Amino acid sequence: MKKETGIPRALSYYNNYPFYKGFFDELGIKVILSDKTTTKLINDGSKFVVSDTCLPIKVFMGHVNNLIEKGVENIFVPSIQSIGYKINNCSKIRALPDIVRNTVKKKIRIIEPVLDKTENIGIFDFCTQIANSFEIYDKKQIKKAMENGFSYYNNFLMMTQSGIPYIQALNNSLDGIFEKKNIELVRPISLCIMGHGYNLFDERISLNLIKKLEKMNIKVYTSLDVPKDKALFALNKTGEIQYWANELELTGVAAYCMQNKKIDGIIALSTFGCGPDSLMVNEINYHAKDKKIPMIHLTIDEHTGEAGFVTRIEAFVDMITRSKKQNLIKKQELKPLIKEKQTEIQAERYKRDK
Amino acid sequence: MSYNKSEEKLKREIFSKRDNTIKNKDRIIAWPRMGRIDIPLKAIVEQLNSRYVIPPKNSNKTLEIGVKNSIEGICLPYKLNLANYITALDMGANTLMMFQAPGSCRFGNYTTMAYKTLKKMGYRFDMVVFDMYKNKMKQTLEALYHVTKCKNPIRYYRAFSLAFSKMFAIDEAEKQLFYYRPREIKKGESEKYYKKWLKITEETNDIKEAKKLKEKIKEDFKSIEIDKEKSVPVVYLLGEFFVLLDPFTNMEIEKTLGDSGVEVQRQIMFSGWLEHVLKPSFIYKQESHRQRCERFAKKYMKRPTGGETIETIGDTVYGAKNGIDGVIHIMPFSCMPEIVSQNILPKVSREENIPVLSLVIDEQTGKAGYITRVEAFVDLIKRRKRESEKCQNQETP
Repeated sequence: MKKETGIPRALSYYNNYPFYKGFFDELGIKVILSDKTTTKLINDGSKFVVSDTCLPIKVFMGHVNNLIEKGVENIFVPSIQSIGYKINNCSKIRALPDIVRNTVKKKIRIIEPVLDKTENIGIFDFCTQIANSFEIYDKKQIKKAMENGFSYYNNFLMMTQSGIPYIQALNNSLDGIFEKKNIELVRPISLCIMGHGYNLFDERISLNLIKKLEKMNIKVYTSLDVPKDKALFALNKTGEIQYWANELELTGVAAYCMQNKKIDGIIALSTFGCGPDSLMVNEINYHAKDKKIPMIHLTIDEHTGEAGFVTRIEAFVDMITRSKKQNLIKKQELKPLIKEKQTEIQAERYKRDK
Repeated sequence: MSYNKSEEKLKREIFSKRDNTIKNKDRIIAWPRMGRIDIPLKAIVEQLNSRYVIPPKNSNKTLEIGVKNSIEGICLPYKLNLANYITALDMGANTLMMFQAPGSCRFGNYTTMAYKTLKKMGYRFDMVVFDMYKNKMKQTLEALYHVTKCKNPIRYYRAFSLAFSKMFAIDEAEKQLFYYRPREIKKGESEKYYKKWLKITEETNDIKEAKKLKEKIKEDFKSIEIDKEKSVPVVYLLGEFFVLLDPFTNMEIEKTLGDSGVEVQRQIMFSGWLEHVLKPSFIYKQESHRQRCERFAKKYMKRPTGGETIETIGDTVYGAKNGIDGVIHIMPFSCMPEIVSQNILPKVSREENIPVLSLVIDEQTGKAGYITRVEAFVDLIKRRKRESEKCQNQETP
């Protein structure tokens, strides 16, 4: 058996790739990545599955197809069932290996480890399953590989949380470089984007949303800026509980930003037909209305045109800028009044003291 | 384990925002509708001496209310449930009951969503939710005690045994109806019998009589005249739980199929499911439906992934191995677990040689197009059956 594995550049790749890379490298398994997402790749992928399936799965199938065309024999398709007690993932992500096995007609070998904390199958079992499928049974070696994976992953997280953009942090962590960004640009408007990592950091799916916003001189907060424990704490503070496995990427981040950062608006990015998103966006909408924070819900599917998408973002940003300007003018008109009053009060005190 | 327990406790506290300010005398209980679930539930509540309100049957009007008040992307069962709550609250109810199973799909989040939506609309009510995940019986009893404040254990025993035997009776009547409808000589006779027995089941309040109901129904249906030589193809009805059990949502597909001469067999029966869920494992010794499905689906699915995915796949394989002529798979639009099974079913159909029809239902579905598809499928099955019978006849001489 060849000691190489193909990892599709979709779904769990975006959040966990540094860990996978470190783990496989230490075990001596070569990692082959699929190409970046393109329209052709999505069209190829959607031929495999039913039309009702959501966009991320279609993209995933496209990447699997791409790997098969490259001639890769082993394809890594993890099934992440739950990441905590009764905190489950979406059914389609849970059944990912089953979907791949039953829709791809060519003979491939699927490496399908399961992570299920509800049934007490933890991260070590997850890694053991991967190693066993490559006929590696030495526990010490697996543990060492896990440590290596975590060191890559932790570096990646530390870098993103200090404010380094996603791609730079990913490349740095893979090359073993560690850097921190200390100076932060002050920008007039700051927005929070709630969206799954696999939608947000995929340049084709999100249509380069983050870069577009940064060009408009906007500070963007995403799931990478917020540590998970803080997000969970903020979420519980609003009276909600974590129900979905990837809930912290959406509601957790939005709740944290609403409480701790001075954000001017929230952008919810979700794909058409996403089950968990339909609930989570509504949940945050409910709390954002209470705090009077404007919110926009952008839905994407494979036919979304870039022009209409940009218009909606621009309109949203324009609305925020205008309301912010008006607030500033009001404050400036009020300021001299306050100063006069303060001088009066000081004068009175001065008299009294005398 | 301690970590798990504390987390679960926190969840339960947040989930069950129970309102103790409503006086026990003033409590009026309501629950969402699903098929004929109201008959056994009514029996329980009546035995525990509480008042209740039953919202009207699901109809287009119900759907309209639901669509108006819920978000765009959520699935059809939620919309109907919410509409049931609203109509019940308008009718004077102040205690809403619902069971949920976290870890399956969006279903586990229904109550929190409905709670927020209804509070925003300005209703005052108490929502009592009980989990169907672990220690289910305890939670069910706890919820019932909270609602009724009844301390007498004999009453609970009476209530549950009455409800269970009623549920078995209803399911038995349904099974008989499925069998006799395509075979009857006088059209509409079996349906009359079914309605008669539903009424009798609803009115029985004695435990001993209720236990006899099942046998009585079996006996009574035998008096229907049937055409014994008619060749009747058998179809499995599989898919999402709510859509299968609610005749409004699936547009009475059972009737359409029965009238066109096809026997329907539904593997998911409410009584069977509830018995498996509520009974402790040391009493329930036979292989449950789910275990059987996991065994049969192993070739295609290695793990249960929430919802009824594994049941759908497992039953299709089971049916193909037991001479079933076709499978109709129904699901609401954007149902997450059923999309998985819809993706896997073509391969199962190809390899096990069984025709499968997938039907997706949402509030926009028109009945005419829907029936055309079912009729075409029925034609296909009948032709297949005729041909296979011909082949057998040729072989025998």
